[in-house]
Amino acid sequence: MKKYLLSAFLLAALGAQAAGPPDTAGARRPPVERPWYRPSHLVLQTGGGLGMVAGGAGYEFAKDRLETDVLIGYVPKRFAGSTLSLASLKFMYSPFRLRVAEQVQVLPITVGAYFSYTHGTLNDEIKGQYSSDYYWFSTDTRYGPLVGGRVTYLTAPVPATGLPRKLSVYYELGSNDLYLASYLNNRNGGLGIGQLLTLALGVKADF
Amino acid sequence: MPSLSFLRRCSRVAPLAALLGLAGCDMLEFSPNDHRVPEEFTNLTRKNLAKLQAKPLPAGDTLRFVFTGDSQQFYDEAEALVASVNQQPGISFLVVAGDISDFGLGREMRWVDEKLRRLYMPYVTVVGNHDLVGNGREAYQHIFGALDYSFVYGDTKFTMVDTNGREYNFNGQVPNLGWLRPQLASLDGARRQVVISHVPPTNEDFDPALRTPYVQTLREARGLVFEMNGHNHSSSISQPYNDGVTYVNSDAFSERHYMVVTVWGDKQFRIKRVAF
Repeated sequence: MKKYLLSAFLLAALGAQAAGPPDTAGARRPPVERPWYRPSHLVLQTGGGLGMVAGGAGYEFAKDRLETDVLIGYVPKRFAGSTLSLASLKFMYSPFRLRVAEQVQVLPITVGAYFSYTHGTLNDEIKGQYSSDYYWFSTDTRYGPLVGGRVTYLTAPVPATGLPRKLSVYYELGSNDLYLASYLNNRNGGLGIGQLLTLALGVKADF
Repeated sequence: MPSLSFLRRCSRVAPLAALLGLAGCDMLEFSPNDHRVPEEFTNLTRKNLAKLQAKPLPAGDTLRFVFTGDSQQFYDEAEALVASVNQQPGISFLVVAGDISDFGLGREMRWVDEKLRRLYMPYVTVVGNHDLVGNGREAYQHIFGALDYSFVYGDTKFTMVDTNGREYNFNGQVPNLGWLRPQLASLDGARRQVVISHVPPTNEDFDPALRTPYVQTLREARGLVFEMNGHNHSSSISQPYNDGVTYVNSDAFSERHYMVVTVWGDKQFRIKRVAF
C-alpha cells in the first residue's frame, strides 16, 4: 500500500512539475514527453523521383534508428510536360551512428523504401479507357528501394526537451518498380544498374 | 599569380558551381515523368532525318530499309538486333513502328536510343500507345519530335501518323484525318508513298469512328505501296479490306525477327523476314 501511495505521489509531483507555471521552470528541467503527433523533424529535398523540390516532416522511432517522412513534391511543367504534385511516404532504417567529432555525427548507411503518388499526369487512366489488364502498371503510383547516408551537425539542446537540435544533410540513391522491372527483363546486360539509379539530396532539421 | 581577392571569390562560387553541376546531373530525377535529357537525346527525328538526307538515294535506285516495332523494354534484344542489322548490306534506315518505350518514360526512350544509335544507318520512329501513357506524349515530343510527320527519301514519301485512338479516349481526332488527307494527296515530288503508324485500323485500339474514313483515305492515296503497323507483335502481310491496299505488320523486338523491305518501280516490293 505504501508503495502505491509513493508511486502516486511521485507521479503527481512529476505531473505538477511538467505542468508547472513558467516562473518555476529552470534550466535543468527534465525532458518532457512531446505529444505523439508532433513531428520530430522537417525535411527538404530535391530529386529521388519525388519532386524538383519536396518538403515535409517526419517521425523517429526505436531510438531514432527508424524514421518515416511524409513529403509533398513539385515538378514544373517544363520538365515533365505538365505540372506535377507528388505525395510521398518514406521509411528508413539507419543501424549505425558514428560520432566523428564533438558536434558531428555520421550515419554511414540508411536503407529504406518509398511510395509515391503523382497528381497531374496528362494521360491518366479514366474509367473504361482500358480493360483491366491492358497496362499492368499504374501511371501515378510508384514505389522503390533507397539507400543513402547522412552527416548531422549537433547544436545546443532544445530547452523544452534537453535533446540537441540537429541539422543533417543526406543523399539517397533509389530506383522504382518500373526501372527495376526493365532491369529484371534484361538479364543479359541490356541495362546496367547505374541506368536505374536516381539521386536525392536533402536537408533535415530536428527541432 | 592569382590575387587573394580572386581566390576568395572562387571559394565563394565553388559550392554554387558544385550545386549547379549536381542539378544538371542525370541522376537527380524529379519524377519518372521528368523528361530532361542531355541535348544529344532531344529532337532525334530531326537529327536522324538530317543524317538520312546526307546520304541521298539517286532517283530510280531501289530503296531498302529495315522495318520492326515495339522495342519496349527489350534492351537485350535491341543489342542483338543492332548487331544483326549492321550486317545487312544496302540498308538506308530502320523504322520502329511505335512503342519505343513501355511506360512512356523519357529515361526508357533514351535507353532505346542508346542502343539504336549504334546502327550504321539512322532510324526513325512513329509514336505507339505505350509512348503516350502518363506524360509520354510530352516526353516523346521532347526526345523524338512530332507525332505526325512526313519525309521524302529517294522516290518514296513516308507519312508517319499517330493512330493510338484509345490513348485519346476515342475523341474522334486521332488519327488526324485533317492533317493526313492533304499529306497523302501530295507526293511532294516522290513517285510512290508509304504510310506508317502503330495501331492498325483492324485493331480495337483504333478509333472505331475513324476506321472507315482512314481506310478510305488510304484506298484513294496515289502510288501507295503499303500501310505499315506495329502493335500486334506478329508479322503479317495482308489485304484485310480486299481493296487492293496491303497492310504490313512488324515483328516486335521480343520476337527476335525484323523485316528487310525492298521497294522499286511504281509500287513493287519484296519483304524478307530475318531472325536475329
